[in-house]
Parts: sequence; structure tokens; C-alpha cells
Amino acid sequence: MGGGSADSVPPIERAQMGEGGCFLETAGVEASAAPRAPRASEASRMNVGVAHSEVNPNTRVMNSRGIWLAYIILVGLLHVVLLSIPFFSIPVVWTLTNVIHNLAMYVFLHTVKGTPFETPDQGKARLLTHWEQMDYGLQFTSSRKFLSISPIVLYLLASFYTKYDAAHFLINTASLLSVLLPKLPQFHGVRLFGINKY
Amino acid sequence: MATAAEQWVLVEMVQALYEEKEELIEEWQPEPLVPPVSGDHPALNYNVVSGPPSHNIVVNGKKCVNFASFNFLGLLDDPRVKAAALVSLRKYGVGTCGPRGFYGTFDVHLDLEDRLAKFMQTEEAIIYSYGFATIASAIPAYSKRGDIVFVDRAACFAIQKGLQASRSDIQLFKHNDMADLERLLKEQEIEDQKNPRKARVTRRFIVVEGLYMNTGTICPLPELVKLKYKYKARIFLEESLSFGVLGEHGRGVTEHFGISIDDIDLISANMENSLASIGGFCCGRSFVIDHQRLSGQGYCFSASLPPLLAAAAIEALNIMEENPGIFSVLREKCKRIHKALQGISGLKVVGESFSPAFHLQLQESTGSREDDVKLLQEIVNHCMDRSIALTQARYLEKEEKCLPPPSIRVVVTVEQTDEELERAARTIKEVAQAVLL
Repeated sequence: MGGGSADSVPPIERAQMGEGGCFLETAGVEASAAPRAPRASEASRMNVGVAHSEVNPNTRVMNSRGIWLAYIILVGLLHVVLLSIPFFSIPVVWTLTNVIHNLAMYVFLHTVKGTPFETPDQGKARLLTHWEQMDYGLQFTSSRKFLSISPIVLYLLASFYTKYDAAHFLINTASLLSVLLPKLPQFHGVRLFGINKY
Repeated sequence: MATAAEQWVLVEMVQALYEEKEELIEEWQPEPLVPPVSGDHPALNYNVVSGPPSHNIVVNGKKCVNFASFNFLGLLDDPRVKAAALVSLRKYGVGTCGPRGFYGTFDVHLDLEDRLAKFMQTEEAIIYSYGFATIASAIPAYSKRGDIVFVDRAACFAIQKGLQASRSDIQLFKHNDMADLERLLKEQEIEDQKNPRKARVTRRFIVVEGLYMNTGTICPLPELVKLKYKYKARIFLEESLSFGVLGEHGRGVTEHFGISIDDIDLISANMENSLASIGGFCCGRSFVIDHQRLSGQGYCFSASLPPLLAAAAIEALNIMEENPGIFSVLREKCKRIHKALQGISGLKVVGESFSPAFHLQLQESTGSREDDVKLLQEIVNHCMDRSIALTQARYLEKEEKCLPPPSIRVVVTVEQTDEELERAARTIKEVAQAVLL
């Protein structure tokens, strides 16, 4: 558990390259080079590049191509939906965005354990949360930095738009701490009071 | 701050360490890739069989009566089975060139699975293409890290490899000792009460064999089922030697004891013994067996069973269903030779009286396993000279968890006549007296 395992070096390189990027590029080149290609060849290219030998795909899903953008768009969508509710004022909407985002992040990254699929390593990650599984436990990778910075950015925006009001400040800070503390490398694998241990 | 003199000492120390490192590197001798092996290692002096290993086997050019091959029902040389295999060979060719998920599923596979499920009266069955891989893939499909498996000490090598692959916690209990198993289960229960949250996510399994290959004894299935329901563990039953042998219709240990087959969670068996085919199958509830279609490593990632062997197995099942009398005939013959071999000075018979594969062990070991093996090999060689083909039970000595003592394994088949059984018993008696006294 902790960084520096031998098989964690390749995922970093792949993260910087963008997973599956090269395959899509070559497919694009071939498609443009043969514009008269019949439908059948497009269908037969359906599963090109999808086979992977990754033992636990959870470890590199946050490095996949386009997922950071999708994440930002999703948070934006949440914000727009909350903005469309007429009863909420702007400060309330921002605090709600911050709190709901942090709650969802806590549940999906720091509460749910294991994998939704069977892995060939006989359940090595059965007791690990998604955050602990990311990049096989290697710390300070780009995805980890992105996911640590995004609640902070939301917090800064929420503080500005709530005009630094005391009650909103307390709620937003508590929410930010709840989602930042589990991300510290010192908290890797730590289960306080035995909660969520098994 | 360190003075100049102290700094000099540090540099000297470091230099000395580097020199020591160089010395150690120069002194190091690599181990040979292939360790030296004595010339009389059994793997280097093997017997060559010409023709099929049927009832009359030709070993090293000499005709012998076969008391070594697991051909319990004599189906290896059966003309009907061979005809069915030939028809299938002409229709499908020899191999399947693909795993089950990759154009390797033929109608004979589905037929055989259907027939096996009907024969064993379970919901579903799944076929593997290699008998060893059957139980070695089935166990890790269900038992993962953090799960607990209670297994008998005399479990065969395939089970041991399956347990090793599963990465679970293994608890060995003494062979056929239900009190020992209950003690282990009770200890586990106490641990579970201390930590109920962990207990809720741990799965417990009991892995036993119907007739043990290493000892020829039968597992006490009724007590096991009682323990299963008391301590909430799941039973995996490995029936390679008891399928096609025990029970009124040859359905194995469950029929022998009259236990409902729904009490056993998974039955796994080899088709290489009674059915005289290759491969293995697992049968049980659909809910259980279906899981192996994606998680059984030997099922998903090995080429499927050649269709001619599947057709041969189907024909063998037909024969088994048509004359269910052969099972009691086989058991009679086993009892006969078991009785005949009692009272040999120097050798003791290990195994049930109705077990078709039992062991002859030395009553008193010489002290070293090598010498025991040599003695038994002498007995085997003399028997071979008198046209009784026997074999010693071979193990990978360094890999077995609980290495059984060296023994001669005697196999009884339906094709052996009473005279041949008598002759074999007499021969073994005389040879044992000659060699061991």
C-alpha cells in the first residue's frame, strides 16, 4: 500500500499520454485515408484497442481520456440545476453545490470499497476505497492532485459567492475538511474507530 | 562538528565496506539451473507402454495384467465408446482450437453438460478440458483473499494447487477426523464473535474428497453435512475416484450415504477415471455453476475439450446408465482383493474395502523415504516380471503440503476376472515375502 511499487510506474506514463489516445488517433488517420471504406469495416473496428491487461481497472479509470472534463462538466451541471431552483439564493446555491459535491466525493471515493467486477488478483482491493486503489496506492499522481484541488477551487468560489458569511463559512469548511483529510497520504488505509473496515 | 581526523576514519570505513562488497561478489557461486539428480530418479527411468493401457497392458514389451490404470469400469477399450469417438472425429476433427467463449463451444459440449447434470440430478454442470484444472479452477473462483477454507490433510495435489491459487486462509484438519474439524470450526466461531463485522464478509468453505486418492478412504459425509449447517460453511466435494464407483447408480458419495445432492454446494469430478475420457466437470445449482463460466480460469482461458472425447464421455455415460449393475460388481471385486491382501507380512492395506484404488504401505518404515521407495520399487519390479503391472504412488515431494508415506497403489477394475485377482494377491504376497524378509 504506499507509493513506489514496481508496477505503478507505467500507469503514470499512460496517465500523461492519455489512455487509448494513440488508438483513436490511428483509427482517425485510417478513416480519413480511406473515406470510401464501407460500413462493415467501421463495424469491424468496433473493439479495436479495448482489450487491456490491467488487473484492476479501478486504478486507472481516473486517468482515462476525457474524464477530468466530464467531471468538471458534471459539477457545472449540478450547479446549473441548483441555480434553476427559484427558492435558493446565490450563496445558498454555492454552499449547496460545495456540500453536495463533497458528499458525493466522500461516498464514491472514500466510502465504497472494492470493485464492482471480479479481478484476477483474488480480491486484493476488497477492503480498499477507490481513492486508495488509484494508481495502486502511488501518491501525488496527477489524478490525485486534480481530485484534491477541485474541492478547494469549489470552496474558494463558494466562499466568494457567500460573501464570507459566518454560517456558510462553517458549513463549507467542515465539508472541505471531510473530503480533504482522507486524501492525505498519512490516512492511506486508515479506518477511524473501525468504521468501514470490512 | 566532526574533526578532520574523524572524517578520515569515516572514509576508510566506507572504503572497507566497498571492498567487502567486492569480495562477496567474487566469492558468490550461482546455483546450477538444473540441480544434479541421481541416475535412478523415477522420472528418468520410466516404463514405456505400447498400445492402450487397457486390461492387458504391454509394459516395456511385456504383457501384463493392468492393476495400475484408473480404468475402473473398463470403458477405456470399450468398442462402443471408441465407435462414438470415431464418429465424432470424422464429424468435428480432432481439436477445438479455442476456449469455450471463443468459438470453442460445440453441441457435444452442451450435450455432455446436460447429460452430466441429469445423471447427477443437479441443475447444471460445467466441463473443463483437463481433470487437474477442474478443482484447481473451481476453488479460486469462489474463495478469495480473506476467506477461510477448511481442508483435509490428505487432499490431493490438484486441491492443494487450487487452494494456493485462491490466496485464502487454509486450515488443515487431520485426515477424516471430524472432531479436529469441529475444533477448528469452533475456534473460528469464537473469532467471528469477537469481530462480527469481519465475519459477515468472510466466506467459509470445507473441501473434502469423496474417496481420497492418497489414502483410499471415504469421507464421513453425513457428519460433514451436519457440521456444514451448524457452522455455516459450504462444502466442496471432489469426487474423482468415487464418481462411477459408489452409489447404486454410480452417482458418488452422496448416493452411497443417501444424502440429498442439494446439501452439497459443489461437486467436482475427473472424467479421466471411470468415464475413461479426459477433462473434468463440476455440477451443482445453476446459481453456483454459472459463476464458473466467467470466473473459472481453466474454463475461460483453456481450449475446450476435444469433441471426440466429449462424445466418448457421452457414450460412457450411456453405458453407465444402461447397466447399473457394474458398480456393485466392481465393489465386490474390490472387497475380494482387499480381503485377499490382508495379512501380508510387511505390507499393510490402506483404504476402504470397497475403494477401487487403495494403497499398500510398508508396515515398518526403514527410516528413510528413499529406502522405502527403493524397497517398494523392488516389489513392483518383481510383480511386473510375473506380469502383474503395479505402480507406486508418485508425489512431487517438495511441493506436497502433507507428503503421504510411500506406497504401492493397486487399482481394481471390472474387467479383472476373479482368477486374475487371486493371482495378483498371491503374487504380491510371494514377492513381498521374498523382498521384505
